[in-house]
Amino acid sequence: METILNIQISISMIIGIMAKILMIMILVMSLVMLRQTALMDKVIKLPVGGSIKTLIWSFFGLLLLLTVIVVLA
Amino acid sequence: MPEIFGANKSVEIDEITQLEKSGKYKSMFGSFVVEPTKTRFESQDDDEKIVVLGRRHFVTNLKWIAMACLAFFVPMFWGEFPVIKMLDANTAFVLSVVWYSALFFYVIQNFLLWFYNVYIVTNERLVDVDFFGLLYKNINVTQIGKVEDVNYSQRGIFSSFFNYGDVVVQTASEQRSDDNSEKSAFAFQAVADPDLVVKIISELMEENQLSRR
Repeated sequence: METILNIQISISMIIGIMAKILMIMILVMSLVMLRQTALMDKVIKLPVGGSIKTLIWSFFGLLLLLTVIVVLA
Repeated sequence: MPEIFGANKSVEIDEITQLEKSGKYKSMFGSFVVEPTKTRFESQDDDEKIVVLGRRHFVTNLKWIAMACLAFFVPMFWGEFPVIKMLDANTAFVLSVVWYSALFFYVIQNFLLWFYNVYIVTNERLVDVDFFGLLYKNINVTQIGKVEDVNYSQRGIFSSFFNYGDVVVQTASEQRSDDNSEKSAFAFQAVADPDLVVKIISELMEENQLSRR
């Protein structure tokens, strides 16, 4: 453990911050995936397209919730 | 016998009739779907009918499925990694959450790319829809009448065992796929039952030539 400018820096702290950044990045990528799924569904309209969009929205919602918890923790 | 209606012609395809009678090839998650219902594509004409919708053989997904299965168990062995051993319980838990989020993202993304990378054979055209990653798509369309030659190749034990291969459709155009990875703009890669695909396209070409006379 190191002390820099009166802040104690531990390996847990560094990896914790990295994990939070990663979580935000995955959330942004899932947002891109959400948009891309809508575009894919526009290109080819399949009967199960609606279910797939629901799955992606559910994943995004869950990820949003987890990101908020992880970032605020 | 089912009739596939074109703009001003009626085409009967024996192969499709036989496949319909067999009752197989109807699942929307299948790699070879004959006359899919409630399916449309972006530039489809009102009188255009989809004869075959196909995608890569499911076996081609085994690589990423195996990787995902392996990755699923990695957090259970966090304790074996010296760096992670040094972390407090909360951080190790957060790391597991990030790991599984990334893993599910990877699985969904790979599934989407497999599911929506399709080729479509209609009574009038061939459509090849390629999505590369999440941000780039490439859609090739050609008229059946412009197809010059169609052939397929199977290489390796897996492709022979599971009956999948690459179908290459030669057109008058010299256009190739954007990433130059395919032999032609119309190369349907690792498709299930390539022999059937070639047969159906050949029959459509014959019908098209007959209707022109």
